[in-house]
Amino acid sequence: MIVMHQARMALVALVILSVAGCAQETKITRVDSGVVTDLSGRWNDTDSRIVAESMVKEALEYPWLNTFSGSKHRQPVVVVGTILNSSHEHIDVNTFVADLERELTNSQKVTFVVGKGDREELRTERKEQAMYAREDTQKAPGKEIGADYMMKGTIATILDEADGTKAVFYQVDLQMVDLESNAKVWFGQKKIKKVVEKKRSIF
Amino acid sequence: MPARWGFVISAKCLIAVVACVLLAGCGPSVNRYLLIEASLRAHDPKAADAIVQQDEKEYGEKSRVLYGMDRGLLLQLAGDYQQSNAVLEQAEDELDRLYTRKIRTETLAFMTSDMALPYEGDPYEQVLINVLKALNYAVLGQWQDALVEARRIDHRLNVLSDRTKEKNAYREDGFARYLSGILYESTGDVNNAFIAYRNAYETFESTRAWSHTAVPSQLRADLMRTAEALHLTQELAEYQRLFPDTRWESSQALQQLAQVVVISYNGRAPRKEDQFLDLPISLDALQLVLLNRGFSQANRHSNRSVDTVLYGLNGRVVRVALPRLVPQKTHVSVDTVSLISDNGSRVTLNTELVHNVTDLADKALSERMAGITVKALARAATKFAAAEGATRGAQQAAGRDAAPWVGLLVGLLTKGLAVASEEADKRSWQTLPDEIHLARVWVPAGHYQVQSQPTAGLHDPLKPEAMRTLSLGPGETAVLIQRVMP
Repeated sequence: MIVMHQARMALVALVILSVAGCAQETKITRVDSGVVTDLSGRWNDTDSRIVAESMVKEALEYPWLNTFSGSKHRQPVVVVGTILNSSHEHIDVNTFVADLERELTNSQKVTFVVGKGDREELRTERKEQAMYAREDTQKAPGKEIGADYMMKGTIATILDEADGTKAVFYQVDLQMVDLESNAKVWFGQKKIKKVVEKKRSIF
Repeated sequence: MPARWGFVISAKCLIAVVACVLLAGCGPSVNRYLLIEASLRAHDPKAADAIVQQDEKEYGEKSRVLYGMDRGLLLQLAGDYQQSNAVLEQAEDELDRLYTRKIRTETLAFMTSDMALPYEGDPYEQVLINVLKALNYAVLGQWQDALVEARRIDHRLNVLSDRTKEKNAYREDGFARYLSGILYESTGDVNNAFIAYRNAYETFESTRAWSHTAVPSQLRADLMRTAEALHLTQELAEYQRLFPDTRWESSQALQQLAQVVVISYNGRAPRKEDQFLDLPISLDALQLVLLNRGFSQANRHSNRSVDTVLYGLNGRVVRVALPRLVPQKTHVSVDTVSLISDNGSRVTLNTELVHNVTDLADKALSERMAGITVKALARAATKFAAAEGATRGAQQAAGRDAAPWVGLLVGLLTKGLAVASEEADKRSWQTLPDEIHLARVWVPAGHYQVQSQPTAGLHDPLKPEAMRTLSLGPGETAVLIQRVMP
């Protein structure tokens, strides 16, 4: 009788363990895009947003903008050049460059023109319009706006790691270069430092 | 009568359980790698990748990293560089997660075998993940991404170097450093290239005793060229003194030329097999072990079932399983690749050994062997003690009449189980080659046909389709990858 009872208990325990083992499911929660979600310690959407916000603020505050607008009586035209990724991660720089372009364009103080890669596509479209589109709707060549400044930059990282603790230092440098004189009229910099700690053992 | 029926049923159950245990322990991936090898010989890396993909469940949760490693290399050979990078990235992420060890998994592994532990790969295999990714990005022309991998290699090796106190251990990687240098130089970063070349040179020199890999003559030329470009006159003079016979050209002379880098994966990486140590703890057990060894080879799977029953019945043999490396050396010492230009002129490249995977695997295993042995002995002793305790407990519970039969049955089951479950961790990145060779040449810009001369009696090298012709502009770099079997 006692043996039977113990056997039942063992069976119940086994079932509980099995059920507990099956309890891990994928859980999805919708969160606001502004919520900080640091999961792996790598470059993420929050870093991209923080850098873009900080750079926009700096770019609009510094005198290069007013100096240009004052002398030329128009908004400066900016083209985005190479943003070099010299970090330890495969960072998609386009996300924060797009944030930056959007904020600066919406501030009505800067005009952006498309960069090197996209220009080819637009020129091909114009050529095709010249051949296939109705004459009154065709867009003529030679009417592109030449940029006054080129925005260039780098994302660099410095890593330090020992015993499961990793310090990651990101430095984003952006500069606005006058296309006529090669003079650097604005220098924006944002630094982010993270410490990622990993436990050596868990139960 | 009921007692006799009980015995009959138990014996059947016992055989079934033992058979299950044996089958579970005897289902390794030997056939998988034989099939992969056959596909690679047939110049069909996609079929080889399909074999790994079909076996995903057999790899299991514990070998996610190995799955990514095995597939990553095969996809690279198949010319699917983006997918290769995707699976290698997953393997690297998984590796990152494995830093945190789970105590319950470690305990389970201690009670059964190291095969229950998640596979992390040896440090040289972990570095090769980044090396392969860097090569994939370079072939795709994504040089900035290739440099990200070069930086990761640098970081990984720095962490490894800090962690490894033993000076003669694997703590630096000559080939990974050399490749990083090539990537830096190809993107115009001569300063970082020189540092990487210098690290590579020092590593090749310091690890020569066990890696059996000499400093490549091309690396000597690279060191002198970059030292000169950086106006490091003292270093240049030193290297000229060290390598008086090495011919080299200045960076300026190469500026308008295009560069071709050939990476050749030659042969097959070593495999691992079980090496069983049967430790008798009584005189009759010693006789049994000697008799059994006289008749059979311990590593054969068919013999393991016989061993299980014999040692289980005897109950006085403790089995310890340790991994043993089985090299599968390549016969190819030099690969010859020709570039034939449109006007018919021919440039011939001879590759040099830059990475000896078999010697690295040997070094890695020998470094871990002491730890593996201590753990295996402790595990075997624990399993034997648990089996002995279970047998005695069952005998006492069964009463005086049934005790001998019950003791025999439970002893056979538990001690047989202890013997059958003993298995060394034989996992390793087996889609890797035995050796990696490299050649580097500068040629005038233009179109080239790529031809590899097959070594006598061996198959043609396997090259992804896109690598049979090259179109090079001034200052451009092309990376060619080929696999030579065996």
